[in-house]
Amino acid sequence: MSDVIRRNAAVLAETPPQDGRPKAVYRLAGDRFLLAEFGEMELDLTLSFRVLGLNTLLKEHRPAGMIESIPALRSILIHYDSTRLAPADLIALVDRLYASLPPVEGLQISSREITLPLAVDDQWTRADIAKYVQYIRKDAPNIINGNNIEYAAQYNGLEDAEAFVRTFMATPWWNAANGFFPGLPFMFPMDPRYAVVIPKYNPTRPFTPEGAVGIAGPCLAIYPVPSPGGYQLIGRTIPIYDPKQRNPAFAANPILMKPGDRVTFTRCTDDELIALREQVYDGSYVYDIREGTLDVGQYLAGLAAIRPETEAFRARQQAAAERTPLP
Amino acid sequence: MFEVLEGGIQTTVQDFPGREGLLDQGICPAGPFDNVAHRLANILVNNAPGAAGLEVTAGNFQATFHDDAIIALCGANMQPKLDGEPMAMWASHKVRKGQTLALSSVDGGGFRSYLAVAGAIDVPEYLGSKSTYVPGGIGGFEGRPLKKGDLVKIGPHASEGYLHRQVRHDLIPVYTTEWELEAVPGPQSAPDYWTWEDFDFFFSNTWKLDRNSNRMGYRMQSHQWQWARKSGGVAGGHPSNILDNGYAVGAVNIAGDQPIILGVDGPTLGGFVCAVGVAWGAMWKLGQMAPGRDTIRFKELTIDQAADLARATDLWASAQSLTRG
Repeated sequence: MSDVIRRNAAVLAETPPQDGRPKAVYRLAGDRFLLAEFGEMELDLTLSFRVLGLNTLLKEHRPAGMIESIPALRSILIHYDSTRLAPADLIALVDRLYASLPPVEGLQISSREITLPLAVDDQWTRADIAKYVQYIRKDAPNIINGNNIEYAAQYNGLEDAEAFVRTFMATPWWNAANGFFPGLPFMFPMDPRYAVVIPKYNPTRPFTPEGAVGIAGPCLAIYPVPSPGGYQLIGRTIPIYDPKQRNPAFAANPILMKPGDRVTFTRCTDDELIALREQVYDGSYVYDIREGTLDVGQYLAGLAAIRPETEAFRARQQAAAERTPLP
Repeated sequence: MFEVLEGGIQTTVQDFPGREGLLDQGICPAGPFDNVAHRLANILVNNAPGAAGLEVTAGNFQATFHDDAIIALCGANMQPKLDGEPMAMWASHKVRKGQTLALSSVDGGGFRSYLAVAGAIDVPEYLGSKSTYVPGGIGGFEGRPLKKGDLVKIGPHASEGYLHRQVRHDLIPVYTTEWELEAVPGPQSAPDYWTWEDFDFFFSNTWKLDRNSNRMGYRMQSHQWQWARKSGGVAGGHPSNILDNGYAVGAVNIAGDQPIILGVDGPTLGGFVCAVGVAWGAMWKLGQMAPGRDTIRFKELTIDQAADLARATDLWASAQSLTRG
């Protein structure tokens, strides 16, 4: 087939930016899913705020044939029955709801603050990385001295592994979505002065320990179950998912995290982590969770004040990324 | 009740459509990988089509019934025997208390078989479904595959209602080892993520299923894609990287160089492009593909063609496919 008559294999519709709203693109995702995507591919938490607002509206106006919706940082994947609901009708509804959203500066989002202990460069992720070198790829450039942290430092233009750890621990992390595996949070740095970026594994790892903390792209994830994965491994924390519901934090739901949570890490040793994990399972550990609200207007004003430092960090990071080999 | 004598490689309790509606929490649907054989087996024993049954992977499952039962086995030919006598697949059978059902290895194509029992497998629901999600340790029988010594309960049923039923001969699938798999593009396709050359290569190449494949994902051989973008930008250096978004069940995920078909136990969200999605009406084929043996050629469908295929598959997996024998 000639390229001349080919347009885009997946894009069904596009709505240009209007009245301060970023553009919307609607993409086929097979015949049972539609991906509604907003703005550009950039780390912009205002897209997450809009997405969470739109997702609430969509649930209130759920059309017949829509099964569920899956919000992420800048998109909502909608699961629907295409034998009952035509994609064009679904797109028309989503686009109308998107246009009805209030300006982002006016949003108040329910947002908890959670602190989790973190063993950095721990024995469990090191063992996992060693297995990857042995069985999957011997010459992976993202593995230096048996860890991924030194590569992460290089890629971001930071002097050493310790500087990388200080940097990513300096910002709260915004949970934009749960997914991949049960309750796995996809978190983004709220303070852009510490917004590290790292490419993913290539090929992916067939195994990752439960509780592992990884970063890829601008996103930080905690692995809730032993699983495959593509994120560079940084450390290990306590369980965020317990199907046996052994701790009061899991009594109502085996999943700890919610979209809109803000997470910070405190450092611990491997031995301390072992003790804390035992306390989680015997029920005595009390998760550090505080209820709260994010005032989006106030947050955006704070970002404006730190713009010069943010730009300096980005410039140094981009220069370093260009001279660092990809996995 | 029946007692498991041999669990085989992986035998799990599954219902259809599984744990639906929880993708936003990161919970995959699970459920039978071949939902056609699963539904037909249930209909043969007069259960609801989606009732809880067993999914047997690659054979070698054995169980002794402690009560009279009505059963049916559909899917890959595991050469079933009841007390040593060959038992026809794709048909309902009466089993007497004390009899032993023995499945051996798969003869010919196919990889999974579905055992339905009138009254269905009686396990507790977890988050709205009886399906087992083994990696998450939830659902089914104690969140795990069956093993020797397990005593599995069967729900109540009316034994007087027994009729010998079978699937119409011309509607019993003959499983190949060289599959044609219907698929619909998106969401990250050509020309913005893939080049059209990448797109054409995908739909013309013969893909081989890697041994390292399971209900989470079917891995295929790596390929040096051209890619329309030079890098993944803020999402990571590789052009297969995107800012994480939801993954469709059955999406073909390109992780670096390697295409992986996401299965019913697959990840629900992630940061690699999904260039193609397996058509919903063809998902059952994945359940019958053997890792390390079978090959796939993808066939592109429009969304309307895919919706027609989904309707045709649902009709096939219904009582209309049965005759009384």
